[in-house]
Amino acid sequence: MSERTFSVDLMTRVEGEGRFSLTVRDGKVIDASLAIFEAPRFFEAFLQGRSTHDVCDIVARICGICPIAYQMSAARALESALGLRTTPEIEQVRRLIYCGEWIESHALHVFMLHAPDFLGYESAIEMARDHKPLVERGLRLKKWGNRLIEVIGGRPSHPVSPRVGGFSRAPSKAALLAIRDDLARGVEESIETARWAATLPMPDLSCDYVFAAITGTSDYPLEFGTHIAVSGRGEWPVEQWGDVMVERHVRHSNALQATLADGTPYLCGPQARLHHHRDKLNPVARQLADELSLPATVDNPYRSIVVRAVELTHAFAEALAIVDRYERPEQAYVEGAMRAGVGYGATEAPRGLLWHRYELSADGTVAKATIVPPTSQNQARIEADLVALGPSLIAMEHKAATVRAEQLIRSYDPCISCATHFLELEINREDVP
Amino acid sequence: MRRIDRSQLEQLCHLAQRDGRTLIGPTVRDGAIALAPITTAADLPVGWTDVQAPGRYRLSRTQGQRAFDFVVGPNSAKEQFFKPREPLYRAERRADGRVGFVAIVPEPEKRALLGVRACDLAAIAVQDAVFVEGAMRDPRYASRRADTLVIAVHCTRAGSLCFCASMGTGPKVNSGADLALAEREHDLLIEALTPAGEALLAQLSSEEASGEDLRWLDESVESARASMGRHVDTRAVHERLFAQLEHPRWKEVADRCLSCGNCTSVCPTCFCSTTEDRSDLDGSTAERDRLWESCFSREHSELHGHAVRGSTEQRYRQWLTHKLGAWVSQFGASGCVGCGRCIAWCPAGIDLTEELAALSTSDARALMPVAAPCAEEGRDEAMVPSPARVLSVTRESSDVVTLALAIDEPRPFAPGQFYQLSIPGIGEAPISVSGRDGAGVEHTIRAVGSLTRALCELSPGSELGVRGPYGRGWPMRELAGAPVVVVAGGIGLAPLREALRQMLADPQQYPDVRLFYGARTPEDLLYAREMLGWTDRRGFQLSITVDRSSPTWRGNVGVVTRLLKRSTVPDAARAILCGPEVMMRFTIQALARLGVTHDRIWLTMERHMKCATGHCGRCQFGPYFVCKDGPVFRYDEVASLFGRDGI
Amino acid sequence: MGVFKLASCDGCQLTLLGCEDELLALAERVEIAHFPEASSRLDPHGTFDLVLVEGSVSAPFQRDELLSIRARAKKLVTIGACATSGGVQALRNGRDVKGFIASVYATPEYISTLDDSTPVSAHVPVDYELRGCPIDKRQLIEVLTALLVGRRPNIRDESVCMECKRQGNMCVLVTRDEPCLGPVTHAGCGALCPSFDRGCYGCFGPKEQAKTSALAARFQRDGMVPVELVRRFRGITAGAEAFKKEGERHE
Repeated sequence: MSERTFSVDLMTRVEGEGRFSLTVRDGKVIDASLAIFEAPRFFEAFLQGRSTHDVCDIVARICGICPIAYQMSAARALESALGLRTTPEIEQVRRLIYCGEWIESHALHVFMLHAPDFLGYESAIEMARDHKPLVERGLRLKKWGNRLIEVIGGRPSHPVSPRVGGFSRAPSKAALLAIRDDLARGVEESIETARWAATLPMPDLSCDYVFAAITGTSDYPLEFGTHIAVSGRGEWPVEQWGDVMVERHVRHSNALQATLADGTPYLCGPQARLHHHRDKLNPVARQLADELSLPATVDNPYRSIVVRAVELTHAFAEALAIVDRYERPEQAYVEGAMRAGVGYGATEAPRGLLWHRYELSADGTVAKATIVPPTSQNQARIEADLVALGPSLIAMEHKAATVRAEQLIRSYDPCISCATHFLELEINREDVP
Repeated sequence: MRRIDRSQLEQLCHLAQRDGRTLIGPTVRDGAIALAPITTAADLPVGWTDVQAPGRYRLSRTQGQRAFDFVVGPNSAKEQFFKPREPLYRAERRADGRVGFVAIVPEPEKRALLGVRACDLAAIAVQDAVFVEGAMRDPRYASRRADTLVIAVHCTRAGSLCFCASMGTGPKVNSGADLALAEREHDLLIEALTPAGEALLAQLSSEEASGEDLRWLDESVESARASMGRHVDTRAVHERLFAQLEHPRWKEVADRCLSCGNCTSVCPTCFCSTTEDRSDLDGSTAERDRLWESCFSREHSELHGHAVRGSTEQRYRQWLTHKLGAWVSQFGASGCVGCGRCIAWCPAGIDLTEELAALSTSDARALMPVAAPCAEEGRDEAMVPSPARVLSVTRESSDVVTLALAIDEPRPFAPGQFYQLSIPGIGEAPISVSGRDGAGVEHTIRAVGSLTRALCELSPGSELGVRGPYGRGWPMRELAGAPVVVVAGGIGLAPLREALRQMLADPQQYPDVRLFYGARTPEDLLYAREMLGWTDRRGFQLSITVDRSSPTWRGNVGVVTRLLKRSTVPDAARAILCGPEVMMRFTIQALARLGVTHDRIWLTMERHMKCATGHCGRCQFGPYFVCKDGPVFRYDEVASLFGRDGI
Repeated sequence: MGVFKLASCDGCQLTLLGCEDELLALAERVEIAHFPEASSRLDPHGTFDLVLVEGSVSAPFQRDELLSIRARAKKLVTIGACATSGGVQALRNGRDVKGFIASVYATPEYISTLDDSTPVSAHVPVDYELRGCPIDKRQLIEVLTALLVGRRPNIRDESVCMECKRQGNMCVLVTRDEPCLGPVTHAGCGALCPSFDRGCYGCFGPKEQAKTSALAARFQRDGMVPVELVRRFRGITAGAEAFKKEGERHE
């Protein structure tokens, strides 16, 4: 009997702290786990009793990488609970700031976290010694995303202007025009990025994915959707997602994981969005996808770096188009009376579907909050991928196999900080060899 | 006095912008009437007025078409000339490899200010007194201020927080402007107060004002004067305030005061500032910025890492006693012009006039000394160091070194004066001159903070920046002829050394010099070898003591005041002291017991001297700025405030 | 230099990666020996000239880890509200954490967490604290630069109002009674919220001499009810002493 375990105690180049373990016995994976030892932070508990207007500020703190996703999903859910309708002008600003977050997050992941795997470096900083122009490009793209967020929201992490109903202040046209050229260069440089990513050596792996992404508009999904589409299963209104998907308390990681009701793991994020909506990409990005022969269905997780790069182009091109036709909204936000109600909101965080549900009391305070972040939803899928990968690792040298497995997990751009906003798990450091 | 139609306002705005002049006028922004660049009369707040109360400001629509139907908004002309943040200089390595300091002084700018009220004209005059009329001129302020066309407006209505009538600054415009307007519903009266104003007025279509017009103006101004929303009793207010330093009201107001600094920021006369040193990551260039500061911030009174005014109570007292009290001694006018901004923009709604009334429960008066006028002629002081080079480094003790510096284009210094020494990117600090060594100016420095540590680590050939000398030194002339008692504690001997050297070199003038010196340990004694050399001189007596003895120490142990006795301090002695404040306090008591009266004692005051030009307000001490009125004071000049908490 | 993380959202260490213009220059001056979010090269047990710590102590293992880090760090700088005041997760302090856990998990006895989320300084000496949720990028660069050249960092402990007024913002509190914590909040963000037409919510924590009671009195005069007063002070930096006490006063 042969048994090998591949594990990493502290995963690197991911957001947050987690570890994984993969045990293969006689060519069969007997255990695959992505565990998370990030400390719990109880967001849903202390949202209870908060005013509607506190929520966007608090949920942003779940994640330093994608705070806007949290703010947007929350604002949407609260607006639906209060029966508030924003204006198309406000929605444009929402998409614009969200583009900034995609740019910043995708550039971070593509260049700083993921690329070193493909080129054999421990970090982007080390990679810069041999590939300085590449790393500088990554930093530049990331900076342009951050600048866009700063202009609209004040700062890249936990921006201050997003609120229920819109923004506390809408950016001036002049402020946006000041960064217009950067966005235009961003389109060009992100296209180069995708071309470069497509040349990277991809390890072989093919997974049978069930893809979940929001849908319901004529646009590539970002800040808004009415439904959630699940490949091969159908579409459900955002309000029903809580019934379609179930969260389980999984013993081996003491973490809540989401699967479809029948236990099927599913994938959300760039590959899922591309699967459902490739034809809705911004024309520049769609042309790029065609040029790179990128199919709608990308079943090799390692190849997500190319999908991310194409989405980077999409985000830059969308942002540029919005800036070019931008007129400052007369009203930066809409307001309405507080009332009791239940509201749901789903948006596409850079790493996938982010779903919020709030129950409000009559005075507008939060009675109950449920937040399902993308990494919780992808976690079961990541473990399934590890199972798929396992047999191919047997023939490999141990360290290379471990790196390969870690690279796989990293392909999902997991955000452990997000995932633990409510997770709890056993902390037992003695068991770490 | 002429009369113009309302439609002439457009022409006035146009004329005011000729020759590339930037027009700064009132305009509605974010719920208030702000002073900002405008281009046309359409930018003026036509049909708007302001409603003010403590901690509250609201815009309100009027039915009329007046453009100046408000009193004052949050910002004043201050920010036009004294910028909230501006660079002072850049330090960089020059082509010859030496460190260069490049002053950053703005290009002269032309401005026109429209709609300035009498109170704000008075405030501009106050700031002029601070920045350009003193011994040292701030070239940045001066260059922005030099070419300013002022179009003022008489107040014909008083606001609920106004008290310019009490302060004697308004409501009528009397001087400080080129043109003065008075606005009515359909027309305006206009008067030229300067030739520039006359030239401008000549280009407007106007007609002579009638007797009725003039009567209207007089009556309107008088009615404004009579309807001031606030009032203060200004009779001898500065003497009365300084008699109330222990009044319980300070504590009471501190419970309501947020120490947020809003009052000082909106005050049109507050001029305190601080500096920040910045450098890039590789240390190749460094810059220094100046920015608005507030006496309500902890850092403002920081000295050796702790705040002299640690509590809100002390800070509020500092602000009010300076603004309405010490200011009069320093600049000959009150720092308060009665505009009411500090009341409206205080988030807690603290009302200065109410506090002043509450503090005026007694008629007691404190005699306020007036700072001696600075002997120096007015000169530009850009606060930019000149390069200097370390000639030699002498280690005096474990944490004290003496640097001899070669200074480019040195100015003569007097004992007791100080220089500002700086290391680009690290900071700047005032250091007293400790002597002269050939061509070098000596500074003795104890490593306590990051800058002094860096200074102590310099080696011969190192470069640094210096500016100075500054301040008033030891009274060498007054000391001549009398027995001189010199009392020094620790590093306090350094500012006295050059005075001692000069006295010892001139036995005719200084026949009897006695040095009483206390240090922590024998190892901390400064200039030991040199002091032993002095003992050879006739008429010099040296007494040394240490706080903590060492095995080889055979001398005195204990505080330095124990050396001061009837047998050691002669009648008619004059004394100069330098050391920790507490040591000086006890020394003064001891000397007084021995008959050395307060007017025969001089000491160095320690406050954080940041700019050394009297502009930053950091070293304000009662009626003085320590950097220019001191650091050496005759004790009776400071006796009433010396050693008091939080001054 | 090492970058370590306790309970947090990663936003503050991300700020280091967000120094796009300075990152590579910094990496040339400083050896970044342990920074798991950015590099697979780890040195968890090494010694450091400088350690940046993000996050609060909210689980027992973090306390032990922190003691170990401190022992190996010449200088320890805490970055952000979590590390400096306990962070947003300090909202759980004083509440029934066991109840939270039991309501979510089938096997609460496995759950290991501390009742309170506490700042780093509650456990080990800290050389420098950088405020903010998240920290300000310019302040981070300033601290690193200052440490490199050996000067005291220019981090002003004044109120947000000072920054706000220097920028020429209109006061949202005075012009429209918008509840703003600026007068009692530590500067450093650049007065962001008022610049975006809203009141400061205190994410840099209380300033020195924070007279929270005077500000609360103002809010009450403007009609704020006690429950809302509690929420104002119990926000992102709820664990900071001055805000915590003020919140308790209105409960």
